[in-house]
Amino acid sequence: MSMGLVTLKINGKEVTVKEGTLILDAAKEAGFDIPTFCYQANLSGLGSCRMCLVEIEGQRKLQPSCITPVMPDMSVFTETETVKRTRSAMLEFLLSNHPLDCPVCDKGGECELQDLVYKHGPRKGRFAEDKVRHHDKDYILSPVIVKNANRCVQCMRCVRVCKEVVGRGVLGAVGRGVHQEETSFLRTRLDCDHCGMCIEVCPVGSFMRLPYRYKARPWDLVSAKSVCGYCGTGCRLTLERRGDTVVRAIAHPEDGFNRKLLCARGRFGYDVMNSEERVKTPLLKERDGTFKPVSWDRALELLKENILRAGAERTAGIVSATLTNEELYLFQKFMREVAGSSNIDSTSRWSAESSLKFIEATGINGGGSSVYGCAESDVVVVLGGQLSEENPVTDYIIRYITGARRNTLVIASPRGMKLDSSAQLSVRTVPATTGAFVAALLKALVEKKDVPIEGMDAIKGLSIDELSGVCGVSVDDIHWIAARLLAAGSVGILAGPDLLRYDDGSEELALLIEVLKATVRDVRVLPFLDRANQRGAWDMGVHPYLKPGYREAEKKGLDVHGIVELAESGGLGCLYLIGEDLAGLYPDRALIESALSKVGFLVVQDSFMTESARMAHLVLPLAMYGERAGTMTNQEGRVQRVEPVRKPEGDVWTALDTITRLGNLIDKDFPVQKSGDVLREIQQQVAGYGDLRGMESFKGASAEGVAELKPAFNYGAPERGAEEFWLLTGNHLFHGARLSQHSGILKELLGECVVEIGRAAAERLGVAEGDVVEVEGDDYMDRLPVRIREGTPDGVAFIPENFDGRDANRFLRKDRVISTVKIRASKKQGE
Amino acid sequence: MEKVLLKNFGKEGAHTIDSYLSGGGYEALKKVLGMEPEDIIQMVKDSGLRGRGGAGFPTGLKWSFIPKDAPEKYLCCNADEGEPGTFKDRGIMEYDPHLLIEGIAIASYAIGAQKAYIYIRGEFVFAARRLQEAIMEAYEKGFLGENILGTGFSLDVYVHRGFGAYICGEETALLESIEGYRGQPRKKPPFPALSGLYGKPTVINNVETLSCLPAIVNKGAEWFASIGPEKSPGPKIFGVSGHVKKPGLYELPMGTPLREIIYEHAGGIRDNRKLKAVIPGGVSAPLLTEEELDTPMDFDSLAKIGSMLGSGGVIVMDETTCMVKAAYIIMRFFSHESCGKCTPCREGTTWLKKIVQRIEYGKGRQGDVELLESLCGNIFGRTFCPLGDGAVMALRGVLKKFKEEFQYHIEHKRCMV
Repeated sequence: MSMGLVTLKINGKEVTVKEGTLILDAAKEAGFDIPTFCYQANLSGLGSCRMCLVEIEGQRKLQPSCITPVMPDMSVFTETETVKRTRSAMLEFLLSNHPLDCPVCDKGGECELQDLVYKHGPRKGRFAEDKVRHHDKDYILSPVIVKNANRCVQCMRCVRVCKEVVGRGVLGAVGRGVHQEETSFLRTRLDCDHCGMCIEVCPVGSFMRLPYRYKARPWDLVSAKSVCGYCGTGCRLTLERRGDTVVRAIAHPEDGFNRKLLCARGRFGYDVMNSEERVKTPLLKERDGTFKPVSWDRALELLKENILRAGAERTAGIVSATLTNEELYLFQKFMREVAGSSNIDSTSRWSAESSLKFIEATGINGGGSSVYGCAESDVVVVLGGQLSEENPVTDYIIRYITGARRNTLVIASPRGMKLDSSAQLSVRTVPATTGAFVAALLKALVEKKDVPIEGMDAIKGLSIDELSGVCGVSVDDIHWIAARLLAAGSVGILAGPDLLRYDDGSEELALLIEVLKATVRDVRVLPFLDRANQRGAWDMGVHPYLKPGYREAEKKGLDVHGIVELAESGGLGCLYLIGEDLAGLYPDRALIESALSKVGFLVVQDSFMTESARMAHLVLPLAMYGERAGTMTNQEGRVQRVEPVRKPEGDVWTALDTITRLGNLIDKDFPVQKSGDVLREIQQQVAGYGDLRGMESFKGASAEGVAELKPAFNYGAPERGAEEFWLLTGNHLFHGARLSQHSGILKELLGECVVEIGRAAAERLGVAEGDVVEVEGDDYMDRLPVRIREGTPDGVAFIPENFDGRDANRFLRKDRVISTVKIRASKKQGE
Repeated sequence: MEKVLLKNFGKEGAHTIDSYLSGGGYEALKKVLGMEPEDIIQMVKDSGLRGRGGAGFPTGLKWSFIPKDAPEKYLCCNADEGEPGTFKDRGIMEYDPHLLIEGIAIASYAIGAQKAYIYIRGEFVFAARRLQEAIMEAYEKGFLGENILGTGFSLDVYVHRGFGAYICGEETALLESIEGYRGQPRKKPPFPALSGLYGKPTVINNVETLSCLPAIVNKGAEWFASIGPEKSPGPKIFGVSGHVKKPGLYELPMGTPLREIIYEHAGGIRDNRKLKAVIPGGVSAPLLTEEELDTPMDFDSLAKIGSMLGSGGVIVMDETTCMVKAAYIIMRFFSHESCGKCTPCREGTTWLKKIVQRIEYGKGRQGDVELLESLCGNIFGRTFCPLGDGAVMALRGVLKKFKEEFQYHIEHKRCMV
């Protein structure tokens, strides 16, 4: 379809826009603002509120500009008396059944109805009848959503966003005419993403945040632009506080690539900042095992002593990939230059080799790639992770774009996910067999088309039937996907953290991309990551083998596994963890507990008393997202500035302040810096950060490769006993890492650890949603409530890794690629 | 004039296929199955047949918009007869269902549809049962189903019952309802001819329109075109109700003057009272008074005097009728039936109803008539679909001709009559 240009006149002003542009958008381009209610960018057009009616020369009736595309030589008038009178009339109609309870409405002050009435509305109402009242009191739809139907203007944005973007479709309209009400089925509690998108798009106070209700007026709020800390999507959000309490996180449509989109974690997980459980002062462990507050001076002195005593080889540090680029950069600089150690990592969960391969395969060391570019490809392939739960907003973007463009979406994942329903084909792979699956795809591609690239012979020798047997995807499905890939003009690939966790599939993925580049040519790859600044951490050189900008380190250090081994052998003198709960996340609980107990001096800097912190000799408080300034790099390579919404309470420091002072304490030449100073240093060191202007920018490419990828093409399915389950772990829709468990609001959405299995497994076990089952690993047993996940096959179970005390890693063993568990229906009490 | 639409009314067992066949039924279908679809469309164009649902759109032209090469197409028969004062389609479906089915088969063949839906008003339980029985008979005799009469043409017909919403008579709301969504109109374009039911090209025709087809095929387009006025020819069923001696369905040539319909065919006003007002074509049509009774009942003549033929449902009101009450009943209907999608109709019709109700109940205020007129102006032409316009046209009709009754009601707090 050729996209020509159309020239038309708006209020006499000539404007040229792309074919298919809506009059509304063309008018905006020409500088004329047309008021709307039911219009929402990226939702299907409705044209029902009639606010946007305009005059078009030659047309008898006024036309809705939000659903009418421009035509060549059209002459549109948006400011005539008739149009103005109509706007005023529509507002008078809307107000006729509106309760006008602005003084008690949360939306007051930022209400679209209020704003438009001020601007266009009648100054006096003529309606003198009884108004329609749907109900007397607001009613609660979810732990985060409260509804007042009386204020509704029937724009249906909530209904459409829930269906078209979030993919839940739990909202609809009941009743007819003035009795129409947008709500849940029978007004019952919602079982949904609790993302609050219905609230965000509501132009009036009809859908409201329950946790924010009656808490503040918008003009009392102090706000700051930040980036969500819960996953690699890196949504731009605005945090708002009243006094010192953070009361709201919102996404502004004109600000940030995610526009209005946020998930439950982003929109409601802000209250971790307000938690009373936070570590507020440095704590030193006494001989009796209790912690006693100490001053920062004493704490830093102790840390200095122990780092110096341990020496470079016996010192290590792991820093969370959720900190700012400046903090991450400074951390590796401190470790390398001051402590003299390359034993640094940004993860508890995968090896340095695994990350090198993933970085190389997905082009993380290359330039940035937009999620939109990926989603707009003719064929979009999602593999290696549960996108819908790990990166909810990426899921939303993929859904609404593929839904509107009707391009082909293919999903390959071990677990069922919400995005399945938007996919043309969704296949279930055996866990940790992404490599075999991609190899099978390669084989099918090469069978259909000869691709002159290196390594082809090895592919030709593969047996598609055998590979199909390993990864569990049928030969027909593999051929179907391969045919679609070859027919596409562009291919988008989203590759997830399973490739990192199981060190599986990166080599094959790199080859697939090479093959597609030779055939389809336009290939866009987006890694989807579960930590907010994982890409930044790698860019900054928080990696045992890589220095900032993907330059090879002169001396390779130990990765997380090496560090744990060293500790287990009793050889680790000092371990400094920042924001990373190694004990809670390392995929072998027994090993990590033993190893950490043998560390000479364990320092944990974190916002909460984590599992690791409990084992530490020294605990330092840590500022979290919303309390620090700097930049973050999301999974796309988009570098975004963050501003603090408030200073951290008490004696809480940022990692930046801590490291810069600690460094200066040990070495006078290590300067005390602010984040702006560090950013300037980064810009000199790391390619692609040089042109960072304004609030966001895409990072450029670093030319250097970090790994040579050669698939071994040697596959075997992981072992599993009959009636056993492969155990997958990761983030839950309502929880990210170990932070979210301290959010009172998110805990209301999911307050305890669960085990997720497919429907077939639940039926085989005779258990229903919510029933408690016994989950038994190699040397650990727990009783967990069951959640049923549609689309997950029997033999696959999932436990979120987000809960202290019910840690999923207690089931895991390092010597297994993927651990298995037995699941039994739990005997009821008294039986 | 020889009756073609109501010819089987009153016959014993007219609804059975045997009776229908004995009167030459399904001969037209046999004839068209041997013709080229394009010739049938041309024949319907030549006949001058215009849609009997109310808008009067030329049927042949509508059919010709359907893309020829589309693999899947649908015919929908609009049998959601919900406009007060209209009951013609119900009559056909209850007493001569095979006439409709034959018409559906002819139209489906002409446009190349293999599936046809009859969207029937939910309250028409008896008619729906009759239709279903007739469809089963037609299947048995090979007039429907696979490979009809050995010609290779296949057609399945489904009766889809509505659930009581007037708006579902609006063609796109009808499609939404068949698809299982709430009955609310869709935006146009795309028009149903390109993207209709399930996104496929679709023709939506009224029951009476489709029922005209067998006669056009049997007697020829010229015969049809020769009846009534040139621009809107053919036989038309007028459903006369209200204060007449003989209410009922009357099949007469298009263009028959209203006076003739009321006084000759419907027997005149009951108790020989004087006529006060008459709604010529369902409640959306602005009413007429005594001096306008000689207007020919066809699309163009009525449009010329500011009213419309609509469905041809004639509602007669005699001199004892309070026009405020009549207006209130009409506005109550529109307010109740407004689907809620667009602002001016949802809020506007309800507001209008409340004001008229207030006047009717003796609580009117000075300025109410002006307020009504102002609101009418704010609704008309601003709504998503014609329902809101219909409400305004009806009310404006009453206000224009009986304003003094409204004033009287406001001032004296009681009826003028």
